[in-house]
Amino acid sequence: AEVEETLKRIQGHKGVIATMVINAEGIPIRTTLDNSATLQYAGLLHQLTMKARSTVRDIDPQNDLTFLRIRSKKHEIMIAPDKEYLLIVVQNPCE
Amino acid sequence: KSCQTGKISTAETAVQSHTSRDAGVQTDQSKDAAQEFQQEVQMDYASLLSFLRRVEGAVIKELNKNWKSRAFDGFEVNWTDQNETVLCLHTLSYPEAQDQNLQVTSVSWNATGSVVACSYGRLDGGDWSTEKSYVCTWNLDRRGLNPQRPDLVVDVPSSVMCLAFHPSRPSLIAGGLFSGELVVWDTSRTEDPVIRRTGMTEDTHTDPVYQVNWLPDSKRRSHDRLLSVSTDGKILVWREERDGRLALAEGFAVVAQQVPRSAQLRKFSWGEAAVGVTSLSFSHFDPRVFVVGVEGGFSLKCSMAAERPALQQTGTSVPLRAPAELAFSPHGGPVYSVSCSPFHRQVLNLFLSCGTDGQVHLHSMLQPQPLLSLQLSKKYLFCVRWSPVRPLVFAAASGEGNCNKCLCFTGDVHLFDFEKSAQKPALSMKQAAGERPVYSLEFNTKQTRLLAAGDAAGAVRVWQLSSDFTEQGPREMSHLEQLAGEITD
Repeated sequence: AEVEETLKRIQGHKGVIATMVINAEGIPIRTTLDNSATLQYAGLLHQLTMKARSTVRDIDPQNDLTFLRIRSKKHEIMIAPDKEYLLIVVQNPCE
Repeated sequence: KSCQTGKISTAETAVQSHTSRDAGVQTDQSKDAAQEFQQEVQMDYASLLSFLRRVEGAVIKELNKNWKSRAFDGFEVNWTDQNETVLCLHTLSYPEAQDQNLQVTSVSWNATGSVVACSYGRLDGGDWSTEKSYVCTWNLDRRGLNPQRPDLVVDVPSSVMCLAFHPSRPSLIAGGLFSGELVVWDTSRTEDPVIRRTGMTEDTHTDPVYQVNWLPDSKRRSHDRLLSVSTDGKILVWREERDGRLALAEGFAVVAQQVPRSAQLRKFSWGEAAVGVTSLSFSHFDPRVFVVGVEGGFSLKCSMAAERPALQQTGTSVPLRAPAELAFSPHGGPVYSVSCSPFHRQVLNLFLSCGTDGQVHLHSMLQPQPLLSLQLSKKYLFCVRWSPVRPLVFAAASGEGNCNKCLCFTGDVHLFDFEKSAQKPALSMKQAAGERPVYSLEFNTKQTRLLAAGDAAGAVRVWQLSSDFTEQGPREMSHLEQLAGEITD
């Protein structure tokens, strides 16, 4: 209930195309996309997030990843990482 | 001081395998890999909630900032070499066919995008039903490609009017003949490549087949049925029988009296309108909806699910149905080609039609009047195709007809870009020396810079397009929607 409402709030924001939550193993828990697209996003972004995190920590072991954004021609992917979960939001920013 | 390594012992032996075996490996068409994931994954609801509570604020802040940000305005990154020019990569032909004055009637790319096939025949009328013709294929990725020597030449006893490669099996190609028959060839077979045919039966078309398409079957896993259209007014769906025969599965007949007349088009007299079907295109959004172009000069929106029986039943084994749901405003001459846009999100389905009046009409499937009418040239337009990568781009092939020198754009393959201009082509490429018409063109959906065009001089030109025709801009989809929306008002 509250989980769904929070996700709905995020999904309802201007320009948001997709929202999903994946767990530490890269398995999707909640999503607004279809199966195959979700699996694709989950697998790829989980790996990328792990790589980004190890990059930050290798440069400075006292530092850690807090947020990851990927900007592409068509939209922006935002990733909020955590110990157990990853929140992924895809937004089409108006220009 | 000197040093030396101790003696190293060596020995020589030779090894040779004296038995060997050949084995081939090929991946099978993959089954649908996406599996259901459990939504009931072992997880702690409470920890998920606390995670979301923690990150929600930050994420919403970023979303809002993004929405208002002008930081990336006009920021573009070039990942690939910007190729500014359009080049003709290859000019392919089969000299024996050219010696017989045969023309390229149709071109098609295969499922992998590396093989282009063309059919030789005649489109300029006459009774060439007994003339031999050819289907030739070239593998463009092969080294040592000889443009004058196709990798495969299939002799066909009747003129081939249209070709279509199978969308997922790279070696199957279907063709429609002047005699009204359909044949399927398997280009990987070295002996007789014919694997399926309709033969001449009660069900076969009585006029040349002008277009053939592969249909996805009901399970959407394989494409195994064929659809053919012909100027006898029939649209027929064929399925494969065990003995390699193609049997009629369903059929439609377009009859003038059954064409739905909209009030706005009342001034056109439909009674005499010829309803020979020359072209067909499926909607990319509803697989049962398709558009056909007819000789009478208009296009029809049709549905595979139509149930009304056709007025004209010609003794076929399967009863024919009347497919038309909506008639669109006519061109000034027969329609030769229609193409449905692969890009459109909303209900407004767009398609293009072109014909002998030299015009291209941009239609929405919702209304009979065109959204836009472009007088592209004074010559006949034989083929129009949307670009598979840029929603605002399409190509048209022209030639023949009387040309008043002022309005006539030189060149036979026209590329149109609505982003640049809604009135004239962004680029026109001259295909053949002299005024030989271009009859057919196809974009390569796998190697998206390639466009193949076949002309009456018997040659197939493979054009490499510049990056501005192949890279989608960030706002193109909304541009397209705007264009469609603006004009409907």
